[in-house]
Amino acid sequence: MTKMTATDTRIHPAAQMYASEVAAGTLSRREFITRATALGLAAPAAYGLLGLVAPQAQAQTPVMGGTLKMQMIVKAQRDPRTWDWSELANTCRGWLEYLVEYQRDGSLRPTLLESWSASDDAMVYTLNVRQGVKWNNGDDLTAEHIAHNFARWADSSVEGNSMASRVSALMTDGQLAANAVEVVDAHTLRLHLNAPDIALIVSLADYPAAVVHPAFDGDDPVANPLGTGPYLPVSYEPGIGAVLERNANHTWWNAGNGAWLDRIEFVDLGTDPAAWVAAAESGEIDLNYQTQGDIIDILEAVGLPRSEAVTASTLAVRFNQEQEPYTNVAVRRALMKAVNNSVVLELGYSGLGTAAENHHVCPIHPEYAEVANIGHDPAAARAEIEAAGLGDYEFELISVDEAWQSETCDAVAAQVREAGINIKRTILPGATFWNDWTKYPWSATEWNMRPLGVQILNLAYRSGVPWNEAAFANAEFDTLLDQANGIADADARRVVMARLEEIMLEQGVLIQPYWRSIFRNARPNVHGAEMHPTFVVDVVNYWKS
Amino acid sequence: MLLFLSRRIGMMLVTALCLTFIVFALTNLPAKLETLAKTQAGSRMTEAEVASWIERNGYGSPMVQRYGEWLGVLPGWVRTEDDGTVRGRCVDRAGTPEAAGDRCGILQGDWGFSTRFRETVLNVLSARLGATGWLMMWVLIVMVPMSLIVGVLAGMREGSRTDRTLSTLSIATTATPEYVSGVLFIALLASSTVGLSPLFVSWGWATGPVLFQGNARSALDSLTFSNFTLPVLTVALYGMGYIARITRASMTEVMTQQYIRTARLKGVAFGTIVMRHALRNALIAPFTVIMLQIPWLLNGVVITEVLFSYPGFGWTLYEAAINNDIELLLASSVVAVVVVLITQLISDLGYVWLNPRIRLS
Repeated sequence: MTKMTATDTRIHPAAQMYASEVAAGTLSRREFITRATALGLAAPAAYGLLGLVAPQAQAQTPVMGGTLKMQMIVKAQRDPRTWDWSELANTCRGWLEYLVEYQRDGSLRPTLLESWSASDDAMVYTLNVRQGVKWNNGDDLTAEHIAHNFARWADSSVEGNSMASRVSALMTDGQLAANAVEVVDAHTLRLHLNAPDIALIVSLADYPAAVVHPAFDGDDPVANPLGTGPYLPVSYEPGIGAVLERNANHTWWNAGNGAWLDRIEFVDLGTDPAAWVAAAESGEIDLNYQTQGDIIDILEAVGLPRSEAVTASTLAVRFNQEQEPYTNVAVRRALMKAVNNSVVLELGYSGLGTAAENHHVCPIHPEYAEVANIGHDPAAARAEIEAAGLGDYEFELISVDEAWQSETCDAVAAQVREAGINIKRTILPGATFWNDWTKYPWSATEWNMRPLGVQILNLAYRSGVPWNEAAFANAEFDTLLDQANGIADADARRVVMARLEEIMLEQGVLIQPYWRSIFRNARPNVHGAEMHPTFVVDVVNYWKS
Repeated sequence: MLLFLSRRIGMMLVTALCLTFIVFALTNLPAKLETLAKTQAGSRMTEAEVASWIERNGYGSPMVQRYGEWLGVLPGWVRTEDDGTVRGRCVDRAGTPEAAGDRCGILQGDWGFSTRFRETVLNVLSARLGATGWLMMWVLIVMVPMSLIVGVLAGMREGSRTDRTLSTLSIATTATPEYVSGVLFIALLASSTVGLSPLFVSWGWATGPVLFQGNARSALDSLTFSNFTLPVLTVALYGMGYIARITRASMTEVMTQQYIRTARLKGVAFGTIVMRHALRNALIAPFTVIMLQIPWLLNGVVITEVLFSYPGFGWTLYEAAINNDIELLLASSVVAVVVVLITQLISDLGYVWLNPRIRLS
């Protein structure tokens, strides 16, 4: 196991508070672990606060050696901070490591950091960089290198740099603020935020936050595989596959606690699951990346049992409030009333999740508040659409051609139709769909989970942010969101969150039918490769028996 | 002969020029450039970022000018970034501004850079054409003899039971498109839960879980009977029925000729008549059709290669098209033109050899 005892010994007051919330039943254990470790508590200590013993992740002793073949899309590489697909990160995890890693149980594991701590107002963070970490070119990892990465992340002049929105509390004028990152000594950094941000550390576990060497030129991490991890890329062909092999000329800082496999082959078999099944049957792959719908059972039948991860991932069937006829809040709310989310879950996603409440905050988020829902009332929906003068209007719901997404939208459309409202469905191929995903009047977008409820709201519903596909702009919402971002106590934040959720419902921002569970199928001799809620393929911990 | 050849090559050049211009125009529509920008620099970019990417990467100039750059008749774009580094069409390829020439296009032997595969087009296409070469070779090895045998057998005695049976079979195979036959083959032969494989395994006739692999990706490393049979069969069967039908028609026509009747009346054995007297004349039409069939097979190869995830030329074409990989698509269309015209050339030359009445002039 990773050394996790070195995290700051002082227990953050908020963490104590969370522990009492767990005892009172207002905070789930999973979320407690996320929150407490984000505040700098080591996972065993976090479990200790609850009076529990940290679970031992590996019941069996891992075996060294072997080749693992995994089905996964392999895309053309580019600068890590501009990664827009988890797969891009997964192929590089063998040599590019992160400051912290989000674990399957919701905890944060320090990787290139040894520990960190937050001030009580979440304005100052102290990061202790792990000692004894070497880059594969022989350099030592220092705090300067991490500071360099913060500067890279904060550079919003780079097209598609999605890290900029995650470290916005460290930025002024689209760049890293002058005094935001203070290098205290060779292995200590202090971050001075210009606004409280409780999600900063969890954001550093997101897939575009891979730590690169200052000598990295900022284009292709495969052509220039400078990293701290135990593997190296042997080949990388987009659309075909990628191969990693253990780096024999490099001493990995965590040697003996991972890097079990000799060789990992990612095989890109396209997006058609039939091809994956065919490959699994003929023994060409040991596991796949993600399985959906009927394919889960089919792969199980051919000898690849499933593993499940419960997530706050979802499909956002959102209205764009700048496009007719969705400029009218009554229309948006009427369409929401026409849809019963449980039915959508059953028909569109085979019941593989839990029904949601149209405000994009999940019960597993710590600050989730229960608010009165909009209710399922097809008759009222029809009446309100007529009142808006759209009785004969034909609505159009657009989705990408991926099966679960189009089936979900079909289920939504079927219910709208049942309520007596005209609707047509349009299914676009992925290459076309993503061109205009923020522009469609009414369409569905897949959203992966974020550990905290405020994170999604910051990314997707704050006025004017790039991913605000609903074109939602509400001053009260933005103010409250800023406020929530500074409240470390989940109970206190929940009060604000309740109002945020209410605004989402009052404004009819989206139909958000369900929270997805996600699945992966793997051969029984593949270990440590269970599905991860944020799609992390942590090959360093995979092994084969 | 030389005149004929040069005329053919000239036609090839004109066709290639027209076709590439059409492909260039279609792939450079503003919406397509936006797709390209988003696949290259992040699918969730804003409008302004897309515009800046297009401008910075040389897609902002007029289309005809960029077509000229691709051909190598106009100098490639060059721009100086804010931080002083010089970037340009030729500079990016050569590495430094000093090493870069003024023009870098087809005429200079530079086929461009594939944005989908992050590799020079020349490397991508040579590797992928090699893979398709293996597929086509095995398809031809299976398809040509089989279809000729079936066609000759069916055409020997028009209306016989053999003729009816074989004709029905050929019509059935040629009426089944690759995307149907491929899926049927996978379901029948490459699944451990349905079709013939579980049956054979339970009878003890087969050892593995499946009879054939329904995925040909491993054929890239090593061709085996198990991983290559289904794709080859899928492509071959479609062409086989068609060629067999043409052979049969040609054969029946030849068999009704006066000289065949004369031979029979003179008491020549039926086998000798077929082999000696009928076959060569009957093969003229199928030969042309086989040659014309090769470009058609390249069509079927797109579907088959995608279905069996075998990364050959067809698969590359598909990937390039859905990712709007402009220079790869252009080069692919040049390859397609060359394949069509070369097979036509061979068919013309072969025709002369098979039919002494025709002369090239």
